Amino acid sequence: MNADGLLLGISFSIPLTFRLLSVAFGRAELRSRRRDCIAIPLSKPEHRAEALLNEWLCPEQRATLERHGYFEVRGCHTGKRYRIRRGRNMNIEELGKNGAQVAVWCFGPAGHLPLGDVMLTQKLALETNEQAALGVANRLRRRT
Amino acid sequence: MAVQIVMDPTGDTRHEFNTADASALAEAERRFKQLTGAGFTAAARTADGRSELIRHFDPTAEETIFFPRLQGG
Repeated sequence: MNADGLLLGISFSIPLTFRLLSVAFGRAELRSRRRDCIAIPLSKPEHRAEALLNEWLCPEQRATLERHGYFEVRGCHTGKRYRIRRGRNMNIEELGKNGAQVAVWCFGPAGHLPLGDVMLTQKLALETNEQAALGVANRLRRRT
Repeated sequence: MAVQIVMDPTGDTRHEFNTADASALAEAERRFKQLTGAGFTAAARTADGRSELIRHFDPTAEETIFFPRLQGG
C-alpha cells in the first residue's frame, strides 16, 4: 500500500469510527433511559388505585387497558360509547357509531387522587350518572 | 361482610362491616350520609359486575364505592 492509499484509508476510517462510537453511545443512553422508565416503581397510592381500578373493571375492559392503554364504557343515559385512555386530562373520547372519535370530554374527581382513582371515577360517572358527568365536563373539539 | 371503599389520596380507605350486626350497619349508614353529604357519590357493584348509583344507604349492598365530587378538567 502506498502513502496515498494509507491516507485515504485513514480519512475514511476516522469518521467511520466516530460514527460507530456515537451510535453505540446513543444506544447505551437509550437503554439507560428505558431502564430508568421501567425501574420507576408506582408509589403506594398509585399502586392501590391501580389495583382498585382493576377490581372494578369488567374482564374485557381490563384486557383492553392492559393491551391498548384504554377501556370503553357505555353512557347510562345516551348509550354512547366512550373510550377512557390512561391519563388525567382530555383522556375521554366519545365514539361515533362507526367507532371514530367525535369529541373529547374532560372531567374528573375534585382533589388530587392517584391516576387509577381518576380513571375509575370517570368510568363510574359515565356508567351511573352520565348526564351529571357531562354537565360539569369540558367538551373539546374532535382531534384532527 | 360488606365493604365501603372511599377514594382518597392514599388510593382508597376501606371500611368493612358485618351486615348482620345492627350497630355496624348503623355506623355504615352514618358514614354513607356523611360522605354523600360532603359531596361524594356512591356507587354499588351489582351481581353482574355492573355499577349503579345509589342515593340512599343500601344495607344489602356488598360493595359500595365513594368517589369525590366531579369537576371539569
